[in-house]
Amino acid sequence: MSEKQTSVFNLSRRSILGGIASAGAMAAAGQFAPSIALAQPDSPLTRAIPGTDERIPIIGMGSWITFNVGASQKLRDERAKVLQTFFDMGGGLVDSSPMYGSSEEVIGYCLGRIKNRQTLFSATKVWTVSKSMGTRQMKASAELWGLEKFDLMQIHNLLDWETHLETLKAWKENGRVRHIGMTTSHGRRHGDLEEVMGSQPLDFVQFTYNIADREAEKRLLPLAADKGIAVIINRPFQRGTLIEKFERHPLPDWAGDIACANWAQFFLKFVVSHPAVTCAIPATSRVDHMRENMSVLKGPLPDAKTRQRMIEYVEKL
Amino acid sequence: MIPFSPEVFFALFEEYNLAIWPAQIVAYVLGLLVLGLVFRPSVSGNRFIGAILAIFWLGNGIAYHWLYFMPINFAAPLFAVLFVIEALILWWRFIIRGDLTFRFHRDIAGAAGVTLMIFAMVIYPLLGMASGHNWPQAAMFGVAPSPMVIFTFGVLLLATPRVPIVPIVIPVMWALISGSAAWFLDIPEDVSLPLAGVVAVFVLVRKNRRAS
Repeated sequence: MSEKQTSVFNLSRRSILGGIASAGAMAAAGQFAPSIALAQPDSPLTRAIPGTDERIPIIGMGSWITFNVGASQKLRDERAKVLQTFFDMGGGLVDSSPMYGSSEEVIGYCLGRIKNRQTLFSATKVWTVSKSMGTRQMKASAELWGLEKFDLMQIHNLLDWETHLETLKAWKENGRVRHIGMTTSHGRRHGDLEEVMGSQPLDFVQFTYNIADREAEKRLLPLAADKGIAVIINRPFQRGTLIEKFERHPLPDWAGDIACANWAQFFLKFVVSHPAVTCAIPATSRVDHMRENMSVLKGPLPDAKTRQRMIEYVEKL
Repeated sequence: MIPFSPEVFFALFEEYNLAIWPAQIVAYVLGLLVLGLVFRPSVSGNRFIGAILAIFWLGNGIAYHWLYFMPINFAAPLFAVLFVIEALILWWRFIIRGDLTFRFHRDIAGAAGVTLMIFAMVIYPLLGMASGHNWPQAAMFGVAPSPMVIFTFGVLLLATPRVPIVPIVIPVMWALISGSAAWFLDIPEDVSLPLAGVVAVFVLVRKNRRAS
């Protein structure tokens, strides 16, 4: 991807990390400070990948279920429109996995039909055992996406992570992948992920965090901030159940103050306003939902006090 | 952990049904033949029934799971292997050993067996249509796993003197898998699968206890 620079964050790495670390500590006490500012009118909100000058938009795109459409031409073309909307509105990180059926192949199909994909930050996973099968799978993924190399290769659900991490370290050194990471979801194996984060040189981690599941605030998010690891958040809507649960309720009167016109924006803004979060990856198969999600890139985001209000409001419903 | 949406699932059926047409007609003809043969049992008829069941399972394993379902479901290769194993079990039990007869008796096992067979061929597709799953997006008898598994339960319950246990294990497993998928994918007609499995196991135990 081309490195997209915005004027949103004019802070040094040290000050960002310092701010994140202290914000993490304050989060535990329920009073952390905001660490993100409004974007300039047409600039999407971005966050830096710790330890680099590279920034990525704070809203990415997941592909679990939504892009697994098999060979259906009609559904593939519909997904191409969704991905087109994603890039049109300033999107960057697209995340997938060999576990997601035909998603990687469909993403490759869609990318082949999209012109303004220069902001693409390609992220997939290795999801198998053994070095040889891992290597084969990662090469196959690159072919499916139609890429020479990925921006980010993650180890899916920590599966055979010791083996794959050795491969990925070597690949990163040789320039075959730009960043390496590890994932989990549904709140599983946080303890194991924490151990790996503490002992291994990861660039990214991915786990679940949303307004109803804030377990990650306790240890993973502060640790990521402390270690300078970028954080991708999956399941920001708990796979849609949050929206299904709350859509019959009105948004709070003050939702307009943080430019939330719907619950999707409300939940996404909560997630990406955590200072240790680099990017959230909601998944959708609909253009109108993609527009809602991507509008979050234009800010504003809630500050710490507003985040607390958001939690209290949702917990009251 | 179902990695696809109902929309994609039924789009897959559409593609599959159109690609294998007119195999659905052939499956119905074979199903009717099996239904007729249980009322007129014979040695060759028994082998024919066993062969048809094995072919149904082999066809579903290779054509449906391996060729069509695998691209959207990481578990499909496992399902394909299970279905091929079931085909081999059926072939071994009813063609190679061939010591069981498929026969309709006027008893609970006979009534349950024939009811499940007719359910698979007629009621299941009607339930599907009532749920909005019409041709070519419907799970068709003989070429789609769910109605084929219900049909298998029905045929196995007619085995005399005892219902063999080994051939019913994989169908029961599939009934449980499909039953859970029915919930997540909103396929009301597939709720009949675990129910058919429960009926089959209950009748099997009862029939075998009486036979021993």
